[in-house]
Amino acid sequence: MNVQFKKGVLELCVLVLVAQKDRYGYELVATISEKFHIAEGTVYPLLRRLTMEGFFTAYLAESPEGPPRKYYQLTEKGRTYMNDLVLEWRIFARGVNEIIEEGIGL
Amino acid sequence: MTRREFMDELDSLLRELPDKERLDILADYTEHFLIGLERGKSEQEIAGSLGSPKALAREILAGYRIHQAQSNASVRNMTRAIVATVSLGFFNLAFVLGPLLALLGVLVALFVVAISLFLAPLGFLLQYGIPGVSHERLMLLFASMATCGLGGMLAIGMARFSGWLYRQFLRYLQFNVRMIRGK
Repeated sequence: MNVQFKKGVLELCVLVLVAQKDRYGYELVATISEKFHIAEGTVYPLLRRLTMEGFFTAYLAESPEGPPRKYYQLTEKGRTYMNDLVLEWRIFARGVNEIIEEGIGL
Repeated sequence: MTRREFMDELDSLLRELPDKERLDILADYTEHFLIGLERGKSEQEIAGSLGSPKALAREILAGYRIHQAQSNASVRNMTRAIVATVSLGFFNLAFVLGPLLALLGVLVALFVVAISLFLAPLGFLLQYGIPGVSHERLMLLFASMATCGLGGMLAIGMARFSGWLYRQFLRYLQFNVRMIRGK
């Protein structure tokens, strides 16, 4: 898959995963990597940006094993933003699918 | 690449960031390494999947500079935001620097006009000295006083206009970064 395109989709995935429940960086990276290949380090600048823009809040929590983890939580502003992006994505994906189906069949 | 090599390289690439910011970022990657090791991955594997410190640092710095320029408007911050954006991709040079130079050219020209209008009465005095009773000279003096007012107003307008341009250009830079990131 095209790298630039994937980076755009990454933001949407991170928002949806954090909306589901509070998550820490490694968990997000691992969950997304199972589905498609990313440069894992780029998730962290993305998390910083989303936090700086007020879509996430971050807090530290102890873990039974290993170091404390920085968890990310979706804010109300973040939820609105995510809903907008999901809607945009659905319209986009439907359009692309229709073009493919009409072009080369199912 | 070992964890130590990865962290040292990232640390030195981010040295221009304030300590708090830099340490915060490094802490994120340290956490990532520690959890990965705990799950039985090797340092090399983890570093390999993270991507090159150079690419990461470029992205982090560009994001930081733009944020800075937004919250604290100054020529220096703007310059840094531009340098960070340009370094994201060389091809982008023309798209950022071209419009910027054109805009700067227009701004400088307008300021020069404002200043010369403003200084018109001075020019009159230098050329003719203190005016006598001659009608033409009084006419010229009053005309130059009028241009002085015009110049002043133009300068004030220009100052506002530059502020507006600054904000527009920041948006343009953000647009560029989004394009490079593919958003």
